[in-house]
Amino acid sequence: MTTLDADTVRHLSEAQVSVELQTEDMTLNIGPQHPSTHGVLRLVARVNGEQAYDVKPVIGYMHRGYEKLSEVRTYPQITTIVNRIDWVSGYANEVPFIVAAEKLMEIEVPERAQYIRLILTEMARISSHLVFNASYPLELGAATPLFFALRERERILDLLESVTGGRFHPNFNRIGGVKPAYGSGSTTRKQVQDLPAGFLAETRNAMDQVAIAVDELENLVAGNEIILARTKGIGILPPEVAAAYGVSGPNLRASGVPFDLRKTQDYLPYDKFDFDVITGENGDCWDRWYVRLAEIRESAKLVQQAIDSIPSGPLQAKVPKVIKVPKGETYVRAENPKGEMGYYLVSDGGSGPYRLKIRSASFSNISMLPWILEGALVPDIIAIMGSLDFVLGDVDR
Amino acid sequence: MDAILDLFDNFWVSLGGKLLLVALMIPLIGMVIGFAEMKLSAKMQYRVGPYFAGGRWGWAQLIADGVKFFQKEDIIPTDADRPVFKAAPILVLVGTVALFVVIPFGPGLIFNDLDVGIFYALAISSLSTIGVLMAGWSSANKYSLMGGLRAAGQLIAYELPLVLAVVGSVILAGTMSMQGIVQAQIDAGYPYIVFQLVGFVIFMIAALAELTRIPFDMPIAESELVMGYVTEYSGFRFLFFFLAEFANMFTMSAIAVTLFLGGYWLPGVPQDVLEWAGPFILMGKVFLLVFAMIWFRWTFPRFREDQLQSLAWKILVPIAILNIIVTATLKVVF
Amino acid sequence: MTQSPSEGEAAASAPEEAEVHPLQEFADRVAAAVGGDAEIQFDTVKVKVPADQWVDAHQTARDDLDLVFFSWLSAIDWANEVEAGDPLSEEVDERFEVMSALSDLTDGNLVVMSTDLDKEEASLATLTSVYAGANWHEREAYEMFGIDFAGHPQLEHLYLPDSFAGNPLLKSYPLLSREVKPWPGTVDVEAMPEKDEPTTENPES
Repeated sequence: MTTLDADTVRHLSEAQVSVELQTEDMTLNIGPQHPSTHGVLRLVARVNGEQAYDVKPVIGYMHRGYEKLSEVRTYPQITTIVNRIDWVSGYANEVPFIVAAEKLMEIEVPERAQYIRLILTEMARISSHLVFNASYPLELGAATPLFFALRERERILDLLESVTGGRFHPNFNRIGGVKPAYGSGSTTRKQVQDLPAGFLAETRNAMDQVAIAVDELENLVAGNEIILARTKGIGILPPEVAAAYGVSGPNLRASGVPFDLRKTQDYLPYDKFDFDVITGENGDCWDRWYVRLAEIRESAKLVQQAIDSIPSGPLQAKVPKVIKVPKGETYVRAENPKGEMGYYLVSDGGSGPYRLKIRSASFSNISMLPWILEGALVPDIIAIMGSLDFVLGDVDR
Repeated sequence: MDAILDLFDNFWVSLGGKLLLVALMIPLIGMVIGFAEMKLSAKMQYRVGPYFAGGRWGWAQLIADGVKFFQKEDIIPTDADRPVFKAAPILVLVGTVALFVVIPFGPGLIFNDLDVGIFYALAISSLSTIGVLMAGWSSANKYSLMGGLRAAGQLIAYELPLVLAVVGSVILAGTMSMQGIVQAQIDAGYPYIVFQLVGFVIFMIAALAELTRIPFDMPIAESELVMGYVTEYSGFRFLFFFLAEFANMFTMSAIAVTLFLGGYWLPGVPQDVLEWAGPFILMGKVFLLVFAMIWFRWTFPRFREDQLQSLAWKILVPIAILNIIVTATLKVVF
Repeated sequence: MTQSPSEGEAAASAPEEAEVHPLQEFADRVAAAVGGDAEIQFDTVKVKVPADQWVDAHQTARDDLDLVFFSWLSAIDWANEVEAGDPLSEEVDERFEVMSALSDLTDGNLVVMSTDLDKEEASLATLTSVYAGANWHEREAYEMFGIDFAGHPQLEHLYLPDSFAGNPLLKSYPLLSREVKPWPGTVDVEAMPEKDEPTTENPES
C-alpha cells in the first residue's frame, strides 16, 4: 500500500478534480430541418451546456441561381423570378427591378400606376410584418398571437389576390406600369382596365381593421412580462456593426438609425405622403419586434393616404410590344419589408439583361449571425434569429 | 348486490377493481382534458378546433388520435439505449398512476388513505422526472439530451418550492393524510386558501413547472429543441407521454384542490350529500384549475432556463420559507 | 429607340443635356477623395478605382466620406464569347469588373466602387478588414466567378456544395438545362398580335 504523504494526496485530489470537471463541448447542428430556422438555414454551433460558441451559418440549401437564370430570360419573364426571392412579400420584390428597367428605357410611368404600386407594396409590407408578428411570439413559446396576426394577414392577402390574382407571387408589374386587369368602375358600366371595383374602399376598411388589430397585438404581446424578460437586452446590435455588415431595414432602424430608403429614394412617390420612420433605442430583440409592429401602422397610414389621393389615368405607359432595354447600367434600391432590396442591372440593349446583381436584404442581415450569436444561450439563439426576420429565399436567391 | 359488495372485501378483488378503475380513469381524464385543451385553445384563437370527428363538435377527435397513435410505426433510433428507451414512457405514466392512489374523491372514497399521503404524493411526483431524464438520455439525440437535462434541472429546482408550499397546509391541518387535510378544512369551516394564498400560488407555479407546461415548457420547447426529450418517440410511446401530461394536470390540480381549496367539500353542503356529490365537487374544482393551466398555456411565452432557475431559487423558495415561518408562528400563537 | 449612352465622360450628362445631375457634386467628392474616376449613369454613381488601391479607397470612403453602410459586392464577367444568354453587341476588353456598393446612412447616397481585374490572375485584396459584411459577399464572388480575395479569413464555398466544380456565373459556364432543351419562353419575345389599345378612362378615382 502506498503511503499517503502530502504530495501524493495533493496529486490524487487534483486528479480527482480534473476528472470530475472534464467537460466536453458538443457540436450542435441546428437545421436545416428545424422548427425555428425559417426554412433551410443550418447553424453549426459548439455548445457548452446551453451556451453556444463559434456559430457557423451554412446556407445555400435553397440556392436557385436567379442571377444566372435572369441572364437567359427576357425582362418580362424575370418578374416571375424575382417575386420568388422574398416570398413573404413577393410583390415588393418586383418593384425595384421594374423601376430599374424603366429607368434604362426612360419610361415615365403613369401616376396612377405608381400609386397602385405604392399601395400594393405597403400591403406587402404589412403582410410581411404580420408574418413576423405571428412567428416571433411563437418562437418564444406563445402560440396565440400567431392567429391574431395571420387573421389580419389573410385580409391583406385576399385583397392582394383580388387585384393581382396571386396571394404570394402576384407578378403584377409590367414595364411601364401595372398589369391592366379588367374590372368595372363604380360610375359606369363600361368595361375599363383598372383595379377591381370596390378594391380601394375595401382596402381602406381593411387598413382600419389592421390598425385595430395592431393595437390588440401590442396589448397581447407587449404587456407580457415574460416576453419582456426574453427580449429586452437580448441580441443587442450596435449601429456601427449593423452598417458594416449591411444590415438594413427594420433591423437597422431598431438600432437607432433613422434610415429609410422610402424617404431618400424616388422609386415610388413616397415623398407625397406623410409617415414616420420608426426607430428603436437599444437595438435588442424587443426593439426589432416593436419597430416592425409600429411600421404596420405607418404602412396602413400610407395606404390610406394613397387611396385618398390616387389620381385617375392610365395604368400603363406606351411601351413597345417587344421589350428591349437600351444599353446602360443602373442600381435601384428599395426599402423592402426585410430591408434594402436592390437590383444592379447591366443591359446591353438586348431583350434580357447581361448581368443582374440581386441585392437581397436577408442575406446581409444574417451575415452577422456569427458575430451576434457568439456566447448566446440556445434559447436566445432562437430569440435573436427570429427577431432578424429573414426568409431563406431572400438569403439564398 | 350485497354479494357483489361483499366480494370487494376480498383484498385481491378490491385491488383488481381499483386498478381497473385507475386504468380506465387515466385515459378518460386524459381525453377529456385533451379535448378541453383543443376546444379552449381554439376559442382563444378565433378557431373552431376539432369539428368533424364524431359528428358533433368533433368529440371523437382524441379517440381518433389515440387510434392513430397505435397504428403508427414504433420507431426506436438505432443508437438508442433500447431497454431504457422503452422503459422511460412507462415510468412516466406509472408516476402519474401512482398519484391517483392518494386523491380523496369523497369521504371514504379514496384508493388508499395513507398516513403520509401528501408526502407520498410529492415523492411519487418526482418519479416521472427520472422517466423524462431516461427518455432524454437514451434517445441518442442531442436535442433529446438537452431536453432531458433541462427537465432534470427544472424539476429539481421546482421540487423544493412545491414541498415548501405544501408545508403551510400541513401545519394548519396537523396531518399529512390527504383525507385528514380535507377533514381539517371541513372542521375549520374554510378552505386553507384563505390563509395560504401565497402557498397556493407558489404551489400552482411549481406544479406548472413540474408539468413542464408553458410558461415552463423548456424541456420540450419545440421552437428550440424540436420536441425535447420526446423528439425520437413515436406511436404509442409518444401517446404515453401525451397521456401522462394530461393525467398529471389532473392529479396536480387535484392535490392543489385537496390542500388549498377544501377538496371534495363545499361550504354549506351537508355530509350525506358529500357522500355522493364529493367526486363531482372535486372534479368541478379540478377543472377550474385545469382551465387556468390551459389558459396560461395559450397566453404566455416560455421562460429561459436560467430565468426559471432564478425564479425558483431567488423568489419562490424564500417566499415559501417565509410563508412557513408566518404560518407556524400564527399556529403557535393562536 | 435604343439610345445607348457611350462610356466615360459623355455618359455623365447623357440623359439631360447641359443640366447638372443632382448627384454630380457627391460623385465628384467621392472621386476626389478616393482618387478615381466618377461616372453617373441613370442616377447611379460609379467610381472606378485601380485594383491596387481597392482597400485604401474603401477605407477612405468609410472614414472620410461617411459611407459606412456596406450594401453589396459582386462582379461582372465581361466576355466576348458567352455560353448562356445573349452575347454582347460589341467587342469589350475581357475582364472581371468587381463592384462594391457603399452608402451613407443619412441621405441615401450610394456609390458603386468598381475595379477591373485581369481574368488570368483574378485576385483582389479582401475588404473584410474595412467592412466586416464583405465576408459573405466575397465568398459568393469567389465561388461564382473564381475571383481570389487575398487575406480573406475563410474563402470557401458559400452557396454551393464543397465538391462543386466550376464558377456558375462566368459567361463561359453553360446553363445545362438550356443545353438540353431550349427555353420554351423564348416565343414570348416574338411580336404579339396587335390588339385594341386598352381604355384608359378611369371613372373610379
